[in-house]
Amino acid sequence: MRYGRSAAVVVTVTGMLALTACGGSGADDSGASSSGKPRIKLVLNGGLGDKSFFDSAYAGLKKAEKDLGYDLKVVELGSDRTKWEPGFEDAASADDYDILAAGTFDVTDYIGKLAPEFPDKKFWVFDAPVDYSGKNGACSNKCENVYSVTFKQNEGGYLAGFLAEKLVAAKALKGAESLKKVGVMGGVKIPLIEDFVVGFKSGFQAAGGKNADVLVQYVGGDKPFGDPAKGKEISTAMYGQGAALVWPVAGLSGLGTFESAVSAKRYAFGVDSDQYQTLTDQAQKNTVVTSILKNVGNALYKAAQDDQKDTLKYGTVSTVGLAEDAVGYVNDDHFKELVPEKIRTELQEAADKVRSGSVTVPSAL
Amino acid sequence: MSSVLDVVLSSAFLAAVLRIATPYLLAAFGGLVAERAGISNIALEGQMLSAACTGALVAGYSGSVALGAVSGVAVATLLGVLLAALRLELGADAIIAGIGLNLLASGGTAYAVYSLLDDKGGTSGLKSGSLPSITLPGVENVPVLGDALSGQNLVTWLAFLAAPFVAWLFYRTRFGFHLRAVGEMPDAAESVGIAVRRVQYTGLALSGALAGLAGVFLSMGYVSFFVRDMTAGRGFIALAAVFLGGLRPWGVFLAALGFGAAEALAVQLGTLDVPPQLVSTIPYVMTLVALALYAWRRKRRGRAVPAAASL
Repeated sequence: MRYGRSAAVVVTVTGMLALTACGGSGADDSGASSSGKPRIKLVLNGGLGDKSFFDSAYAGLKKAEKDLGYDLKVVELGSDRTKWEPGFEDAASADDYDILAAGTFDVTDYIGKLAPEFPDKKFWVFDAPVDYSGKNGACSNKCENVYSVTFKQNEGGYLAGFLAEKLVAAKALKGAESLKKVGVMGGVKIPLIEDFVVGFKSGFQAAGGKNADVLVQYVGGDKPFGDPAKGKEISTAMYGQGAALVWPVAGLSGLGTFESAVSAKRYAFGVDSDQYQTLTDQAQKNTVVTSILKNVGNALYKAAQDDQKDTLKYGTVSTVGLAEDAVGYVNDDHFKELVPEKIRTELQEAADKVRSGSVTVPSAL
Repeated sequence: MSSVLDVVLSSAFLAAVLRIATPYLLAAFGGLVAERAGISNIALEGQMLSAACTGALVAGYSGSVALGAVSGVAVATLLGVLLAALRLELGADAIIAGIGLNLLASGGTAYAVYSLLDDKGGTSGLKSGSLPSITLPGVENVPVLGDALSGQNLVTWLAFLAAPFVAWLFYRTRFGFHLRAVGEMPDAAESVGIAVRRVQYTGLALSGALAGLAGVFLSMGYVSFFVRDMTAGRGFIALAAVFLGGLRPWGVFLAALGFGAAEALAVQLGTLDVPPQLVSTIPYVMTLVALALYAWRRKRRGRAVPAAASL
């Protein structure tokens, strides 16, 4: 009995672990290159399928593989934080890559530690910089083999806020003409998400709106970027409080916003990638005025181009925004249908001002 | 302060409480039935998740929302039976087996969605539809409550009907008596001729089915798609409600409703000028306070809850 019991436990647990291991990770493309092409290894502290951030990075590198002749390999470490550090160590010590690409603030410590250990390899970090000063234990070689790229999401937020206020002030949104408020739903209150919000508020004010009319709320909880039910609940509350449109900046939780926009007969903006394209339901598509793009993929593609020409600046951070087309908005037929020409022109002018530097958008970073 | 009061008394708030409490109620009753049968079901989370995933996938591929819902509940029921089998046939620890099932559900659902849809995020690319909403004729004319009740999902109504159902089952049926007897003292139950295993299997199946209904609600009522790990800890909050409710049907009902209300309050207060970090702790602080209260009450009464209920 005793033996049977512990055996059962062991069998159960190992079985489950084996199964989750299958589900949680896996390489997209196996086998090292024998053709002499430069090999990129994209290591994700999460997984593909987020319809925005990581998917965008993957698409950009996939394009580099096709157009520029790289070899691409993807490693997904899953959402369990305890697996990230060993995951990165394993990924970096394997000799099956020339360039290791990874993103988000969470990876900067790991890369800062690993880059000096593998001086012959190159590292790309997107959406956060490694600590080049080398003061805090990481980057003992000043990370001279690391290229970091960060995004001015506050500029995207500025355009979203500007457009939102113009639409509300001109009573241009059918069925929401009487409403003055707008909402922003963030995943969690961290500096990166705050950067979107700060930009939004500043754009909203620049267009003549009042700060008090911007409702801001965070999903929080166990899965802030993966709880669409809670996202829907929060959006419903915002529409109930008189928001004409809600801009979700919360990954998959944002999918709940489009559903609540349909039932409330209101509007929404997409984020990171063109969500008019990624949504399948026509009623939900119709609620998406535009999407504010943060084009991680473009930035990585550009890095791949520069690296081929040996002009990529290792050992530094490059910060890209509107001027570099790394941030922007979707200007498609649906957008033209919903937004009057006057407002479209004004938005274009606002974007030009940010691009030329005559308007500086405040940042939370 | 008055704006807080306005929020709490609005029909939008009440409607939100009903919606948010639905998965808590169903999963908590699932947990309660298992607990009283003498096997802790901490796999509620995994059962919900599997049901949510199966429901959305089957509904999407077959085009039938009803078939999707039934398959979702069926899968969760099977997981309940599996947990019982691991415990009863192989003697596995119910907690460890439960953790295993949760891991299996998390990885398994993601794997299923990826292999079928080639999408690692969820089934949002698959049109699967929702279970119908129900508006009782005339109910919308009742002030405040009418607005809150009308248009609620079918499963929300079922969740509220589950309380009298479980109470009736426990205290008015032969099966209920047997279930409680088995949970309190299996040897004694067996000595008077109760088929202990059969009762426990049935209890765990029912437990899984209730959790499954909660899961189906998430992916086919609350929203109309499945997202990886979308249960987001709701199964564990439901488990807290089981103990907070003192392992009694109406106690569990109030506890689950209380958690729903706390979360709805956090959502509605979120846009007021209160720090978001503070607001989002409301449900968790409430859980801790409630559990401490429960422990204190139990200590004062000096009487243990059913012997097998040792978490």
